[in-house]
Amino acid sequence: MVASLVAVIFMFQTFWQFAPASKLKIRQGDKIIGTYDLNQTRELHIHGTLGDSHIIIDQGKVRFKQSPCPNQYCVHQGWLSRAGQVAICLPNQISLQLMGAKATYDSLNY
Amino acid sequence: MRYLILIILFLLSSCGKEPLYNTQSYVFGTLVDISIYGETDVKAQAVSSQIMRNFQALHTRLHAWQPSELSDINHAFAQGSAPVSIKPDIAAMIANATQLSKQSNGAFNPAIGGLIAAWGFHHDEFKPVKIDDAQLKSLVQTNPQMTDIAIENGNIVSKNKNVQLDLGGYAKGYALDIALVTLRKQGVKNALINIGGNIIALGQHGDKAWRVGIQHPRQPNAIAMLDLPSGWAIGTSGDYQRYFELGGKRYCHIINPATGYPVQNMQAVTVLIAPQAGAGALSDVASKPIFIAAPDGRTAAAKAMNVENYLIIEAGNKILVSAPMAKRMTWLDKTAAKNVQIQQ
Repeated sequence: MVASLVAVIFMFQTFWQFAPASKLKIRQGDKIIGTYDLNQTRELHIHGTLGDSHIIIDQGKVRFKQSPCPNQYCVHQGWLSRAGQVAICLPNQISLQLMGAKATYDSLNY
Repeated sequence: MRYLILIILFLLSSCGKEPLYNTQSYVFGTLVDISIYGETDVKAQAVSSQIMRNFQALHTRLHAWQPSELSDINHAFAQGSAPVSIKPDIAAMIANATQLSKQSNGAFNPAIGGLIAAWGFHHDEFKPVKIDDAQLKSLVQTNPQMTDIAIENGNIVSKNKNVQLDLGGYAKGYALDIALVTLRKQGVKNALINIGGNIIALGQHGDKAWRVGIQHPRQPNAIAMLDLPSGWAIGTSGDYQRYFELGGKRYCHIINPATGYPVQNMQAVTVLIAPQAGAGALSDVASKPIFIAAPDGRTAAAKAMNVENYLIIEAGNKILVSAPMAKRMTWLDKTAAKNVQIQQ
């Protein structure tokens, strides 16, 4: 009972701010590679300027699993699951953008 | 008349797709994202391509560590050579950057290319460097300043051989201003241009202002969001965009020209700039002096750059927001929202 209450509070804190994402848009360079359903288990190998980036979709979340880039910022970003989240691998020119029913904002300042 | 209304309603309902065009490309070593609202895809695509081509041309001319117009100038400076010719637009950029450098009391200093190179940031794929304290000290002592440069009759010269121009903290913002000119010239009324996180707005997104998320410096989501009205620009200096880690310590690409070392204990500074000539360039530059300033000097640094709207995120999650900025922001991160202090 306590555990489930804690879980509910955790879920509330995690998700109150953003709707969970339902779709993933992957781009390489100036091309849209595809839009993927996030609610599936799937591994993708996307070819970028340096080599293959290994991307994992796992039931509502996605991450860079492996990347040929030197600094590995994209891999360190970890899992993305909410609408509006973005992970960019600049060296390999691959971006992941999560989309929900409604966009929270138009563009991201970073 | 009634039929006319019906036809219009039908047309409105049949074109359900929002007239929003979006494209991305990699220029300036970063991601460029262009959104155009209310134009045909054909026109939006043509204008976007033109803007991307302009960006690419500018990037090539200003490249700090590959052969370019700028590296030719740097080479001439290092040789202590006589004045060399410079194109009018680059001369104007350097004059403006010099003015902003003076305004920041040298905290924004695009003459420290030598220091940036010593820290290994003159590579697309940089690695941790061996920190050579003696070398850094001597580079600081050579005191390269924008005011060492003189531009006359289309020629440029530096009285200090150690001036090495690096417009990495200026060019992306300047490019936003150039893009705005192109958009207006082409009759585009609504657009949002994002160059590596530095954004300028024109018009709005349908019946609402363009809305921008501000990246959390340590998590893969936005910490807050705000409306970016027409002509406004936003820029962030962060320790999370370009950095390396060595011995458990993070070294970011924002170097204090006075010490020669990357700034520690700061995660991000965001500035919001009101519409004015050069708003884009200012949004790129103005966050740096605030990022570099000592804690008790930040308000003065913001004031010197005429920045009213700023957000400071220190290491240890302390968040400072200027009062006018606080009114504009909507917090998305609940933990962050609790740590906010408003600076009057």
